[in-house]
Amino acid sequence: MTIDATYQYIFLSGLLVMLCVVASVLTRRIGAPVLLVFLVLGMLAGEDGIGGIKFDDFNMAFLFGNIALAIIIFDGGLGTKTQSFRVSLKPALSLATVGVIITAGITGYAAHIILGLPLLDGLLIGAIVGSTDAAAVFGLLRSAGLDLKERTSATLEIESGSNDPMAIFLTITLVQLLQLSDSGSQGWTIASELLSQVGLGLAFGFAGGHIVAQLLKRLPLPSSLYPLLALAGGICIFGITNHLNGSGFLAIFITGVIIGNTPLIYSNEIHRFHDGIAWLSQIGMFLMLGLLITPSHMIPIIIPAIAIAFVLIFIARPVAIVMSLLPFHFPWREQVFIGWCGLRGAVPIILALFPSLAGLEHTQTYFDLVFFVVLISLILQGWTIAPVARWLKIELPPTSDEPNYLHLTIKHDQDKNLLIYPVVAGSSAVGSSANNLPLTDQCQMVGVIRQGKLISDLEPQTFLPEDQVMILATSPAKTALGRIFAPATLSSSLKSNSFFGEFVLLPSAHMADIAQQYGFEIDPDSAEMTVERYLISQFHGKPVVGDQVQLGLVKIIVRETEGERIVSVGLKLST
Amino acid sequence: MLLHELLTPSSALYGLEGGSKKRILENAAEIISEQHPDMSVSSVFNGLHSREKLGSTGIGDGIAIPHCRLAECTEAKGYLVKLDEPIDFDAIDGKPVDLLFILIVPEDSTSEHLATLAAIAELFSQEEARNALRANQDSQSLYETLCKLSAA
Repeated sequence: MTIDATYQYIFLSGLLVMLCVVASVLTRRIGAPVLLVFLVLGMLAGEDGIGGIKFDDFNMAFLFGNIALAIIIFDGGLGTKTQSFRVSLKPALSLATVGVIITAGITGYAAHIILGLPLLDGLLIGAIVGSTDAAAVFGLLRSAGLDLKERTSATLEIESGSNDPMAIFLTITLVQLLQLSDSGSQGWTIASELLSQVGLGLAFGFAGGHIVAQLLKRLPLPSSLYPLLALAGGICIFGITNHLNGSGFLAIFITGVIIGNTPLIYSNEIHRFHDGIAWLSQIGMFLMLGLLITPSHMIPIIIPAIAIAFVLIFIARPVAIVMSLLPFHFPWREQVFIGWCGLRGAVPIILALFPSLAGLEHTQTYFDLVFFVVLISLILQGWTIAPVARWLKIELPPTSDEPNYLHLTIKHDQDKNLLIYPVVAGSSAVGSSANNLPLTDQCQMVGVIRQGKLISDLEPQTFLPEDQVMILATSPAKTALGRIFAPATLSSSLKSNSFFGEFVLLPSAHMADIAQQYGFEIDPDSAEMTVERYLISQFHGKPVVGDQVQLGLVKIIVRETEGERIVSVGLKLST
Repeated sequence: MLLHELLTPSSALYGLEGGSKKRILENAAEIISEQHPDMSVSSVFNGLHSREKLGSTGIGDGIAIPHCRLAECTEAKGYLVKLDEPIDFDAIDGKPVDLLFILIVPEDSTSEHLATLAAIAELFSQEEARNALRANQDSQSLYETLCKLSAA
């Protein structure tokens, strides 16, 4: 490559990434899935588009695709809070294993019928498109500004973070089966393959995660090197696990979860850095995949691809959801939504490269077909996720904005923060006093700074606008404090009232008294219960914020939870 | 039912005395029972107080809507109360309360009364309405402002 061409490439890649970033603003306006735009931009830059760039190096695409995917999954892991495991770990794992197998099986069988391929080849296509894409789902939910009930959002999050290993495993196994049936030998068993993929993935993920977390805790480094250390650690674990025939994706996801849930001084920096780098990976990967595809080759497979995509979206995924969630009693609306959120993203496209790298036949067809199925899923489901969530009424009112606060982590006690909140005119903090704050031994008041002077005699003081309130607290207390000091946005509190109802009930209130007060019938067993017990039993032991029961003319709604407990219940007078 | 149909000029209580939630409810119960002798002080107080035990009716922004169903009550009664000094009411937002709407409905009350309750909450959620009510200096103008607001 000449020097001049090098700079041309650098300029072009910079320009493409910039276009992607700018385009993401536009997509937010029209609600289009941003990944679709990256893909289309890649196709435009490619050989059939105006860019005319010819790129068909599957090996390079595979290398970059793997790295980018690993980073995206790592970032997903970092953002996964172990608290959300309470309601969603088991259902999500069921979806990520049984669900993927059912989806892949049904879709594969359909591909076998539709394309007239041998059964194993059909199943390979099913396996390739078997997993949902974390990045695709969450990018869309976030850009639509949707807050979902925790049961749904955490299930989708953990599912899409952890189902790739299963799809990858199925794909690799089927590729090997196809290779072997060519040569006719049978030197391995599926079981040992599964054991090594999952076993090594888990072992390296847990061990590596703890090692990297300890390094991050103990090494004295300049603050900007911590995120890099986390990333390098994650990539190392990914590489070595894959090298030893384990599931690197599973390992790096677990590593991410461990690091993300370890209290670290620089955890904010680590999150922000990985958010950015995950976006870059996303952009890079979809641009590259857009470049890799040659749209003119896709024309003959359009009809079968549409048929397979419809089987996947309307039959395979819903059946898989219903069957894998059977033991968990999810409300039907949430099941429908989880079914609709089966977005396919980059993973299937990367997996579609496997057969060609393994030297199988019809590989170009696989690739084009899978690409098209992903495209349909992105357009059809991606574009409609937000309206579907609204239609199914599973979104929550937006939580009020985080107030701007100063935040110092106390060294050597990494879970304690010194927080300084400004009292904003119009926020609910104005006029309240230290007595109204949720103070415990985990959350202590330090003082109030008024007009540059520290006031430590707090008893008689009510907060005035422009005060600075200093509080020593653990991280979990931040949510409650944030709500009090949040700048008042009229619309958000209005929406929250119209969602959670006009009144608040104590969790310890008895159902019989509520029934008497608001005139509804209730069976004698439930009448004995407190409203907390009643809601817990209605939602099979795992209630989440937003769960509601209609009783006569009123609704009772879970307003706030703390771990297993319900701490606040809303009462809505339906009119 | 329109809100002002629940009220008479004598059911606007400006500057009701009482330094605590309990005292305010007691004093209000006394006045209500005085005006409607068929409802005793203790039954009005107990009704309102046991509703508060299920969870404060302080809905935020200094507003509370104590309410209950009473066997002795023959038709729905509303009372609008403005306090001189805001009191602690365990409200949702922790803020002290200075404006109360007390609603007492018959035991066999219908959906209509829940709708009335919702309408009161709706009215008080409007900042202009709260400001207009707080601007009054006596019971008569408090009553007139509420009539204007609920007719609008």
